[in-house]
Amino acid sequence: MTQEPNFEPKILGFLCRWCSYAGADLAGTSRKKYPANIRIIKIPCSGRIDPLLIIRALRNGFDGVLVSGCHPGDCHYQTGNYRARRRIAITKKFLEYMGIEPERLQASWVSASEGGKFAEVVAEITADLKKLGPNRLFNDK
Amino acid sequence: MTSKIEQKLRSVARELLEQGKVGTIVGYEAGSLKFTNTPLITKDKEAADRLVINPFIINNLSVFLKDIGGKVGVVAKGCDIRSIVSLIQDKQLARENVVIIGVPCAGIIDLDKIEKLMGKDRDELDDIVRENDKVIVTVQRSKKEYPAKDVLIDSCLACDQPKIKEYDILLDEEATVVCDDEASRSLIKKLEAMPPAQRWEFWKSQFERCIRCYACRQVCPACYCKRCFVEETEPAWISPLPKWQDNLIFQVTRMMHVAGRCTDCGACERACPVGIPLHSLSKKMAEIVQELFEYQAGTDKDALPLMAAYESKEAEDLIR
Repeated sequence: MTQEPNFEPKILGFLCRWCSYAGADLAGTSRKKYPANIRIIKIPCSGRIDPLLIIRALRNGFDGVLVSGCHPGDCHYQTGNYRARRRIAITKKFLEYMGIEPERLQASWVSASEGGKFAEVVAEITADLKKLGPNRLFNDK
Repeated sequence: MTSKIEQKLRSVARELLEQGKVGTIVGYEAGSLKFTNTPLITKDKEAADRLVINPFIINNLSVFLKDIGGKVGVVAKGCDIRSIVSLIQDKQLARENVVIIGVPCAGIIDLDKIEKLMGKDRDELDDIVRENDKVIVTVQRSKKEYPAKDVLIDSCLACDQPKIKEYDILLDEEATVVCDDEASRSLIKKLEAMPPAQRWEFWKSQFERCIRCYACRQVCPACYCKRCFVEETEPAWISPLPKWQDNLIFQVTRMMHVAGRCTDCGACERACPVGIPLHSLSKKMAEIVQELFEYQAGTDKDALPLMAAYESKEAEDLIR
């Protein structure tokens, strides 16, 4: 692991449009401060997540990926987040076996009323990734 | 020389076709190379006499079932039956449309391992016979004996399901398998002991050799998508050029897409022309699925598929 001064990780966030995206909005409107390292993509449901989207984000140079959805039991489509959870768990374990640090794939449940939690999650992940260093996994040399 | 089990298979297959219980029979016939077999897909009852059973029937024939219409009789080993069950769970196949002809299997012999041990090409060998936990190789009237676990296919060593549960016709009594899970996961164990960066380097070097021929996908019964993500162009998820990054993404994503449906039959590894140790990916995936969700692919045709089911509390420690 290389320590780099001034390293600012780039994080791709996949946020479900019902809970976590609204949670991120709330963080903004309530003027919670969180690192600007995250770039957000709105997805219809955390159940939309395909392992392909995660690994492709890493391939394209993101240092970490966050998938965030409604708390268990709160899914707008009843079961989307339960299905996402199985997929994320398997992806995390399998990528770890391949040699990708598990910190690079993060998942959280953030409801529409948890602006504070969203800010905390982003701050924590950013700190984790700063410690881990840049993602050079897919570099040629 | 036809063995008893072959005679039974041939008469069973002929009967099924004659009585119109199936339209097609899928089995094995002798291949053009020594000791090897090739799939036989036929509607002709006379062709039933070409069917064979021996310790080299490596192909997982369940891969053909989806594309053959009507009722199909299929010769299947325990692991192939798990693939069939998995297809039934996924509603890709109706149970009433397959007649499963179960073959008790004591493990398939890996010709590559035998060649390596003997230092000889398979063409130079006269005979290879399986006797309980031994395999006897004959070359010019001299015999050499190997413990079966040294010459069986890696996936077979991990076989913990010798008992065939789902079948219509069973050709023989159950076979006893020689199980050696440690040997089957020896590479996994080695990799797990490495730091992540070294593991990544290992897999990187493997996928540098991949020519993306997609043979692994074509032989996989669980890879039944009509359109695979690698062939999509808008967006193009991976580059069409076989660069190692894209090769790796293809295989890793494939493994994750078949999680819970892959029975670790090992067909992908055997199909790989450059010898990438894919069994060490598929077996690891089976272990992850078992550990996280206590799920084993293709063991219960009435169970919900892994990715369609859920529990209200599981894998909670992995999510913030």
